[in-house]
Amino acid sequence: MNSFGEILRTAFSLILSGDRDVFEAVWTSISVASCSTIFATLMGVPIGLLVGLSQFSLKRVAITLLNTLTAVPTVVIGLVIYGFISRQGPFGGMELLFTTKAIIIGETVLAVPIVIGYTLSAVKGADVRVIPTALTLGASRVQGLVQLTREVRFGIMAAVIAGFSRVISEVGVAMMLGGNVRGFTRTMTTAIALETSKGEFAFGIALGIILMAVALVINFALNLVQKS
Amino acid sequence: MTPRYRLTGVTKYYGDKIALELESLTILPGRIYVLTGDNGSGKSTLLSILAFLSRPERGEIEFDGKLVEWKNAELQLLRRQVTLLHQSPYLFTGTVFGNVAYGLKLRGQKDEALKQRVAEALALVRLAGFETRNVRQLSGGEARRVALARALALQPVVLLFDEPLANLDQISAEVVDEIITTLPSQGTTVVVATHDPQQAGRLGGDTIRLADNKLDRLPTGHCME
Repeated sequence: MNSFGEILRTAFSLILSGDRDVFEAVWTSISVASCSTIFATLMGVPIGLLVGLSQFSLKRVAITLLNTLTAVPTVVIGLVIYGFISRQGPFGGMELLFTTKAIIIGETVLAVPIVIGYTLSAVKGADVRVIPTALTLGASRVQGLVQLTREVRFGIMAAVIAGFSRVISEVGVAMMLGGNVRGFTRTMTTAIALETSKGEFAFGIALGIILMAVALVINFALNLVQKS
Repeated sequence: MTPRYRLTGVTKYYGDKIALELESLTILPGRIYVLTGDNGSGKSTLLSILAFLSRPERGEIEFDGKLVEWKNAELQLLRRQVTLLHQSPYLFTGTVFGNVAYGLKLRGQKDEALKQRVAEALALVRLAGFETRNVRQLSGGEARRVALARALALQPVVLLFDEPLANLDQISAEVVDEIITTLPSQGTTVVVATHDPQQAGRLGGDTIRLADNKLDRLPTGHCME
């Protein structure tokens, strides 16, 4: 058995040599996570703003439900969507299973509650005078909402970063819905799971290093946003 | 002369509590009105209604002789004629220029004309040259003056002030006072809510006095009907 030092050396050489399998997994992870984060943002931010600014009798229930959804295990989300898009499911005919589209759908569902939650917090923390000020200066309701979004933009950026962070590091959805197909739906996390189970520790470590680097960059970005 | 505002049978509730109850109130154009009353008497509520930010549960309001129907598009047009300066005004994050220009940009002003209007408004409040300052760098008095400049730049038909001198330094208070007194000569209707009897005296004009969330009866010559 190779020493850990040798494994590390091999891992770094895989990275530095631009190993195809390594970087295909990296590219798949980043592209899928980016797409799902964009979709989650487009859905989650307006919902977060609407829920945050509205008063309705079931608001507390809605927020509790939302918080619960952020804690649902990724493999459960993967399982539920699997049920919908498998051959036996209502959308089986669309042949989405074991494609990157399926992973994007699953990761979007994963990220939306997080984006909504962070956006809700941002709106809750916003000054109550923002919208009335915008309105009295001649803004329409929509323009007032736009101004509010500008005022809480750092909170919304934090929402986007948190959503991305969640999906880039998840394995359950990608495994269930993507099938870990080499060169196609294999992400960093599913590749780590597979290669490690095969005893290919160096490959797993290489991807782990890159994933840690991505996580570091994300956290650094989040810190910057929070400081702002 | 068509009144600027005519309020009839106006009632505003906050929850179950009556925040304001007016049988009748007329406000004429181009005059100063001083709105007085104890804390909780309904002054801010009345200003909010006059600014079309808050809809009363009952009653009718006419603005320039036209009944207000409280529809979104109509309200936006009305709000572009009436500006309320809150007691603690909020400045949007960014620069002084961005704030003063906000309402002007909504109205389609741009480029040199925009810069000119901003500069003029800042000069009026004695903050010429403050355009590039970040609002977080302003003192309390300067921030209030920027909020005033932001309102003045729009040249509204009605300018409403909620406690404009509260916690202001002397220079800022002088600037605000001076501007308020000159506005009617430009045709602007001004309503100032104030606790300060000295300010009320300095401003002159008609008095609207609220007590227990209702209009207090005043001698003839004041603005009530």
